[in-house]
Amino acid sequence: MPIEVVLLFAWMLVIAFLAFIACTFEDLESDMGSQSNPNSQVQLAAQVGQVNRFFNKAISGEPLSNAMYCVTAGTIAWLLLRQFEPLVPGEEWKAAVLAIPIGVLAATMINMIFSATSHCGRTAAQKRFQQPIYLDVLYGHLVPIGAHAFMTTFCITCIAYIQSNIGTLSGNPALNHPFALPLLGFIWGITVGAIGSSTGDVHYGAEREFQDRPFGEGKRVVYHGKITRYAECGVRTQKDIAGFCLKFGAPCTGMTFGLIILFESWRSMVGMQLGGFLPALPAFTATGDMAAIFGIVLGLLIVAALMVGNLVFVKWVRKKYGPFVGV
Amino acid sequence: MTVTPAVIEEEEPTKKGLSFKFPPEETEMGLIAGIIGAVIVIFTGLPAVIKGVGLLLVLLWGMDSVRKTSKYGLGTGVPSIGVLGTGYGVVGALMGLAVAEYGRVGQLYPAVLVGVIVMGAIGLVSGIFANGEKFIAMKIPRLERAMMELGMAGTLAILLECSILTGSLSFAAVVNNVMNTGLIALLFIFNCFAMLHPYNACLGPDERRERTRMCAVEISGLICVLLGLAMIGLGTSPYGILDGVSMIVFGAIVWVVYFRMFIKACMDECYETVGTGIIKTLE
Repeated sequence: MPIEVVLLFAWMLVIAFLAFIACTFEDLESDMGSQSNPNSQVQLAAQVGQVNRFFNKAISGEPLSNAMYCVTAGTIAWLLLRQFEPLVPGEEWKAAVLAIPIGVLAATMINMIFSATSHCGRTAAQKRFQQPIYLDVLYGHLVPIGAHAFMTTFCITCIAYIQSNIGTLSGNPALNHPFALPLLGFIWGITVGAIGSSTGDVHYGAEREFQDRPFGEGKRVVYHGKITRYAECGVRTQKDIAGFCLKFGAPCTGMTFGLIILFESWRSMVGMQLGGFLPALPAFTATGDMAAIFGIVLGLLIVAALMVGNLVFVKWVRKKYGPFVGV
Repeated sequence: MTVTPAVIEEEEPTKKGLSFKFPPEETEMGLIAGIIGAVIVIFTGLPAVIKGVGLLLVLLWGMDSVRKTSKYGLGTGVPSIGVLGTGYGVVGALMGLAVAEYGRVGQLYPAVLVGVIVMGAIGLVSGIFANGEKFIAMKIPRLERAMMELGMAGTLAILLECSILTGSLSFAAVVNNVMNTGLIALLFIFNCFAMLHPYNACLGPDERRERTRMCAVEISGLICVLLGLAMIGLGTSPYGILDGVSMIVFGAIVWVVYFRMFIKACMDECYETVGTGIIKTLE
């Protein structure tokens, strides 16, 4: 196999690994600031009398906010790369080593600014429910939020950088992604936010809030605010939640995103390889169609395998733990 | 006009340095921002700071329209309204840019306003469809006007940002400097956030319009800083690097002043600001 193809597959694995890390930290960041995970509970808690010490990070939904951080990081990194790359001809990676962390740092600052405004604004808008602003909650959560967001944004910006230079990195510049770095950051930010928002929310629901009920269902909504009040020991803040979610929810989310990236890139790469599209891109002829067909067939096979696996797993779980009461 | 917050506004004694009442009414705000924004959009040869002031006004107007649209009790839907406004904006801006060459006089592009007007009409029609008895019949008060203003403000904001970045509004320049470089993603997402974040962040029964608007101005300052950086990177401004630097300084000053003002307003107006404390015990 030619070295370019091996390198392409290697970079694909790097991207999948970075995606795993990114989405793990994305989930933890949203737990740390209650963005998606228990946000509606935090929002309602004060209104039903459950005054709490939670950080109310209401920066829209996760997809949009992550797109914002990643676009900021991507734009600043791209602007710096434009300035730095001519300084180190032949060794462009040196420019990236400097530019990407600076861009991500700027994005993290913006994240912390938006977090502070949303926490203060939402708490001030709940004046009549006697919810105070606790300054230690505000200051004590901003740095953890920023740190987790730094990891997410850093991994996503790295993915976008690798992708927009994947051809150069593996020895065939024709394979570079046609999109610019900020645009790739936007797309990846939306994706990582969407997956982090939909997967791995183990904090509220069956796993924690209603542990005394079978499958965690059947309590009135007015009690949902209770999730914000007391932890196993003392008053609950989001630092407990991040620790709790780190054990299962966050790695699960990361695995979801990593697997999606892995399967998706793998099937297109293998399709291109089988269709004779690698290492040199031929002109778009019938070969291109064959590459697409191979890729789609492989994708369908992967989906079928996942569905069968899921079915078998759920059957095994039902048999082991009894029927689902909610049905 | 306003239902509950109006009462709160009168109760609140306006503390010194915390009131931000320019211009006081939603209609006046719309007229002032619309006219000034439209004039600044047409004159593309102006320095970036003046366009930045226009952008600030237009985004304030956009935030007001988002607030108007979502005020009847929209909770998690507020971000969608901001994104809808920016979506209108991108389509309208492309439309305006496509006809920009007609009637062009030097650096004056009066034809781009066609996009603004068309988007206002589309917003109005969609508002009528959403509210009308025969169609979806959502019966949200004043939705038609709010949707129309949303489309116009979004379009003006995107056009102003394109004009700041490229120094002109010719289609080729915008495609080369804004679309192909991927900066359109930056414009899109920050336009969204300037319109949706203030009301989303201040959502609640004790929301106050003046406080919400401070947040909008603060985000506009951040946008000006980012646009200044992008201008320096692109190097398209006819005034050289000074244009970008002045934009960054302007944005930073606006951000610092209004961020302080907003956080101070929140801390003064909330139930209580305490260093630390145990939560209230329920009986």
